[in-house]
Amino acid sequence: MSVFVEECRQEWKRLGVPDLLADEMAADLEADLAEAEAEGVPAAEILGESDPRRFAATWAGERGLVPEEPPTPKSRRRFWILLAVGLVLLGFLLGIGGVVAFAKPKVTAVQRGQSVQVFPPAHLVRVPALVGLQLCHAYRIAHSRTFDLGFRINRKTMSGCRGSVVVHQRPSAGALVPRHWPLALRTRQDPVHVPNLVGRSECDAENILNPLGLHVRLGLRPCQHRRIVSQNPKAGQLIQPPHAVTVWLRGAKS
Amino acid sequence: MRRMANESRRSQMLRGVLDLCLLAVVVDEPAYGYEMTRRLRERGLSTVGEGSIYPLLGRLEREGLVATHRQASDGGPPRKYYSASPSGRRALSEGVRAWRDVRGEVDSVLATIEAEVTQ
Repeated sequence: MSVFVEECRQEWKRLGVPDLLADEMAADLEADLAEAEAEGVPAAEILGESDPRRFAATWAGERGLVPEEPPTPKSRRRFWILLAVGLVLLGFLLGIGGVVAFAKPKVTAVQRGQSVQVFPPAHLVRVPALVGLQLCHAYRIAHSRTFDLGFRINRKTMSGCRGSVVVHQRPSAGALVPRHWPLALRTRQDPVHVPNLVGRSECDAENILNPLGLHVRLGLRPCQHRRIVSQNPKAGQLIQPPHAVTVWLRGAKS
Repeated sequence: MRRMANESRRSQMLRGVLDLCLLAVVVDEPAYGYEMTRRLRERGLSTVGEGSIYPLLGRLEREGLVATHRQASDGGPPRKYYSASPSGRRALSEGVRAWRDVRGEVDSVLATIEAEVTQ
């Protein structure tokens, strides 16, 4: 396949043209160019365009193979994401500002030169710095300060979270938020051994898998009480999170 | 510079009627892409200027003005053959009439200019 046609293929792929149609167009173009070359007709006369990407995009567009609204460029999408995050943060800060502004300060007389330690209002907590900590450690800190992490780590699941390190947190460290505020942690994880889930309930499985960066996918067996009877990947297998573990459930007669 | 300007003008003029030319070369007998280019050349249209016939064929296909089918070619891979559909024939007929009207009007304007220049 000529370089020109190959670049056309890449452009069609980028534009989302179905492979079958892209193959057809590439084959037709290739055959035409070969025939023209055999007759001594320059390719430029056939193509009328030296830029394969523009040529491919125009052709696919005219055939109606490209969606009407092209995919949003990354930069534009990033702009909207940043704008949304910015608006959320602004709203959040305004809310906190309002809370702080309307809170009745406790007035205490101090002497000139005396140092004063400022505490946040009782209903607010300061977000701890968790980036760089093992997930287990971060969990303990966040849990003790009433943050809602969306999952639980207990003695059974503690071993699995040791390979995870927190690489990002939201809200950022130092922010003042109400108690029980949701705290989102992103972790970088080493491959983990799949735990044995057989005999456990669906809820247990979630609590065991989530701290490992894994999640439950349900198999198709019908169930009533949802006791796990088999799983894939098998227990002990080494996998790279994020990954789903499919479990099959059986309804034990009560 | 002047030559480039002339080529650009030619391209722009062709752009409005190239679809008619393509329909004209497949109205009697189906043809695949390169064969259409060859027929255009045989009838005097050696280059189609900027762009190519492929995007235009894509549009004609999308608008249902050409019908397509795959057919084995002599010694080569199966090719996609284009032929004028009934609506394509109607469009060709109307387009040719419009072209002749425009050509006549433009000719009648430009003819006097040419006379002035050559004097």
